[in-house]
Amino acid sequence: MAMILYHGEPNGPSLAVLAALGESGLDVECRRIDLLAGERHTLAGVTEPLARDMGVEGEGPVLVAGGEAMTESVFIAQFLDESGSNTLQPKDAYAHWQMLMWCRRITERCAPAAAFLGCKASAQPVLAGMDDGAFAALSATIASEDLRTRWGAVRAGTFPDEQVADSVTKVTDAAKMVEDQLADGRDWLMGDLTIADFETYGWLAGMVDLVPDAFAGKDRVSGWLARVAARPSVQSALALASVPNPQSSWAPGPEINRWG
Amino acid sequence: MGEVTLYHWEPNANSGKPMLALMEKGVKFDSHYIDMLNFDQHKPEYLAINPQGTIPAMTHRAGSLGSRVLVESTAIMEYVNAEFDGPDLMPGTAQDHWRIRWWMKFMDQWLAPSFSMFGWKFFVGPNALAAHGQDKIEAQIAQIPLPERQLAWRKAVFGLFSEAEMAESGRRISVGIRMLEDELTKREWLASDQYSLADVNGFNLAYAMPLSQPHLANDEVTPNIMRWLRAIYRRPATRECWKLGRTPMASRVAILEQDYIPPRDESEGITSGVR
Repeated sequence: MAMILYHGEPNGPSLAVLAALGESGLDVECRRIDLLAGERHTLAGVTEPLARDMGVEGEGPVLVAGGEAMTESVFIAQFLDESGSNTLQPKDAYAHWQMLMWCRRITERCAPAAAFLGCKASAQPVLAGMDDGAFAALSATIASEDLRTRWGAVRAGTFPDEQVADSVTKVTDAAKMVEDQLADGRDWLMGDLTIADFETYGWLAGMVDLVPDAFAGKDRVSGWLARVAARPSVQSALALASVPNPQSSWAPGPEINRWG
Repeated sequence: MGEVTLYHWEPNANSGKPMLALMEKGVKFDSHYIDMLNFDQHKPEYLAINPQGTIPAMTHRAGSLGSRVLVESTAIMEYVNAEFDGPDLMPGTAQDHWRIRWWMKFMDQWLAPSFSMFGWKFFVGPNALAAHGQDKIEAQIAQIPLPERQLAWRKAVFGLFSEAEMAESGRRISVGIRMLEDELTKREWLASDQYSLADVNGFNLAYAMPLSQPHLANDEVTPNIMRWLRAIYRRPATRECWKLGRTPMASRVAILEQDYIPPRDESEGITSGVR
């Protein structure tokens, strides 16, 4: 089955999936799209758009397989791994549960925070610079009302202080979680290299510049970031960038939990 | 004590997911009922098992591998499916697996919190107050260590949601029900051609929908949702699962026991349908 992976600049969930693809050994066509131009919402050849339209992740990568738009970076990574070399997920069911739980802490707590801070730093000026007509046309292509609202908030520069502080706390918590996890001297988060390494790296790598205090004095985190960055799969993904520093490319991400 | 112990509340929502998955797999387990509205989950004996104080939790004594403690309902279900013999609840191709996971995440993170807000406001909260009284509940909430958890519990039990929050939850329920109906028009089960964890998850989220949202989910507007709920409701595993309930919440849903229910007055609402 012909598959096409549509991805943004290699950062965040796009980077996680590109790295997993590289590890899988699969030959899948990759097409870079401009997420902040809304290109994700007007892809050709999508006959089943539901997951693209209503995915929780926001502007993550889209793998189109048999016309079906597949989203959510962890699950795309699992799909690629299961379809390919099958090396990125623990075989033992309990170790697999631990990996899933790790990924959920990242996608549910760290990812909304990182996307919020990243958008504040780099996406806001881009969207604010669009004229009203162009932004209205872009908004009209976004099916999900709550995702559309998040785009509008980024453009308007709506970044309340308490959400900034909460996001810094969540990024800091994630960095500490990595530091603690590596305390026994292991190289990778789950022992062996897994999807958890790429998912975590995707969301955290761009936070080193934005929330430096979260990483200060955390030598194990620094070493791990360098190890992940050195993987050939990550290097190949980064080579797909069209900008000098893809780690500062962000687009609206998952929402911050409504129940607090 | 057997190999597997499940700490759960009523057989619905998050507790119902691993309960039904275990029943479908045919895994024998010790059922340990946690009365959530009596705040059993914050008592020391439970915190010794799950320090997070969340329900459900499962322990599995896996021979020489020692005793494992698992939390988070959907992740527990995936463990149950992978670890034990029995029917495969993650069936089909790798793309089917992806679809099952996608729907579970969508329901867990986007749709269920909205249902939950309505459920607490109109059903669980008032029931809790009637059963335990305001003073006792206030005192128990005050015992919860984390201030933000106290706030969330107060909001839930006393229905302190803003109009905007309720309106957004209402919008999501309406959109989500339409999505479920559209998907169930494409195939027999929610995410694959065979019964899967997505159906187990979805049933526990949605079985009360025809009672709580009769204008949005009924035989005229959502015939495929009704077909799907009835099919799961009739499964022997579901019947066994519901025997573990202790409140009227999961007793008999008359509307799912008949093939077709003609249009009815909305005002009958949830209380008349659950007995």
